Amino acid sequence: MNKLACPRLFEAEALRDGRLVGAERLSFLRHLDSCARCSREVVELQTLADRLCNSGAEADADELHARRERTRLLAAFDAKLAPPERTLAARAWLACAAAASLLVLSFFMYFRARSVAAPDTERAVVVHADGSASWSRQSEGPVEKILLERGALSIHVDHARERRRLLVVLPDGELEDIGTTFTVSAEAGRTTRVSVVSGSVVVRIRGQAPLALRAGDTWRPSQAAGVSTCPNCEPPPAAGATSAAIIPPSAAPASPLSSTRVQGARTAVTPSDRRASPAASAEGHEPTPSLDFRAAMMLLDSGDNGAAAARFSSFLNAHPRDARCEDAAYLRVIALQRTGDVGSMREAASRYLRQYPNGFRRAEVAALAR
Amino acid sequence: MSLRGARQPSLADNARSSPDPELIRRLANGELDALGALYDRYQAPLRRFIARSSGNSADVDDLLHATFLAAVASAARYDGRASCRPWLVGIAAQLLRRRRQTFGRLLAMLSVLKGTTQTFRDPRPELQARTDVARALAGLSAAKRMTLLMAEVEGMSCSEIATALEVPIGTVWTRLHAARRELRQTLCGADE
Repeated sequence: MNKLACPRLFEAEALRDGRLVGAERLSFLRHLDSCARCSREVVELQTLADRLCNSGAEADADELHARRERTRLLAAFDAKLAPPERTLAARAWLACAAAASLLVLSFFMYFRARSVAAPDTERAVVVHADGSASWSRQSEGPVEKILLERGALSIHVDHARERRRLLVVLPDGELEDIGTTFTVSAEAGRTTRVSVVSGSVVVRIRGQAPLALRAGDTWRPSQAAGVSTCPNCEPPPAAGATSAAIIPPSAAPASPLSSTRVQGARTAVTPSDRRASPAASAEGHEPTPSLDFRAAMMLLDSGDNGAAAARFSSFLNAHPRDARCEDAAYLRVIALQRTGDVGSMREAASRYLRQYPNGFRRAEVAALAR
Repeated sequence: MSLRGARQPSLADNARSSPDPELIRRLANGELDALGALYDRYQAPLRRFIARSSGNSADVDDLLHATFLAAVASAARYDGRASCRPWLVGIAAQLLRRRRQTFGRLLAMLSVLKGTTQTFRDPRPELQARTDVARALAGLSAAKRMTLLMAEVEGMSCSEIATALEVPIGTVWTRLHAARRELRQTLCGADE
């Protein structure tokens, strides 16, 4: 091809592309009649286009393939047109799957919680029994019960892990732990001995008023032991005053007094303790702090925990210098814990820790405060 | 609408005889038989255009499907021209352009990862070309090939091509001129 043969040769392509309009187009069309080169160029361009149009048949699909692809396209279009039904079905399946997953997860969490809680209880309440002891153990909701028929049990309760109440069911009564280590013995259908190593317990013998025992205190029936004083212990009411005796573990039998209280192992005895002694009670001149404390203890023992907490608060406010204030503060925390009022319980625990940073029960209270 | 509706003879016959604007209007309303009629009418030229533009027959079916489904999505914006073939070709050209750009970005990333500056050229179009024209066409760049096919085979005007490819009309003219020149040179060499 010699493109320089005609200066208007380029217009052949311009004509084909629609770039020539009006007079230019007419002029070039007239030129084509007289210019063989430009006419040949127009023909060559048309031939090229024809060859392009006529090629490419190899890309055509056969009839069967085209029908199959048509069906696929219409199915895809149909699927796009009807998404709500499929979405609803998918949602239903998703909801079912989610519910099933939730159910499985709930069962898993439930059994896991049970499997975790049981060993914690086992570890929190440690029971050592002597060879002749006959006892059993059972859980009843928020209460862990130990049933003692005879023999001696040494029990340690870690209240940092065990939040439930521990009740030792005795042949003739019961004993409730308030966070401690203690030993209890029973023979012939009677409780024969309760000895508290640390913390405190409440002993309830049938026909007698409840007794609160603290660290170092030992309780025996009055027929089995002598009687001495114990300023740290709460005496039973007058009805049961002579039915039992509390003696210190190291104390020699002291001269019997009218009171059932005995001196504990504690060395620091404050004047307030002396004022709260059972001797004063026996004389009918029991000071107000002891009455208040005993009333609070009675409420706590009877299970009226809300009233007990309020009574302990009153005691703390009325007798801020009493030697039992620490106990009262601690027991207030316990009472609030039993009511289930976690917020108030934590507040009371924090107050205890502030007032008694080196208190006897700081570890337990700190755990409760958390 | 279900597939059963597309099999009804009366609807199918009606769709087959409808003009393109009517088909597109019914397609915008979600009528399945309109899509079937449109497919029957234009699947062959569209398939050919896509196959020759992409040079890869493996993707033709998927690109054809994507073209018709994209047409459904934009049927409401159809401009009402008598033949919708240029419109469908324009949609296919857009899909091909996006596919080529994606493929190019992937190759560029792989080249960077490999640490080389390889100028990759897909050899499949030339290998698959069975005729001289097809082989010459496969030798063009993808942009020139697509522009030439749209102009010479599909009969689209340069302004329509510029709109479809989203390039200036001058670029279309330049591509057409260069494509014809290269194609003629290749075919002249082959003829000799």
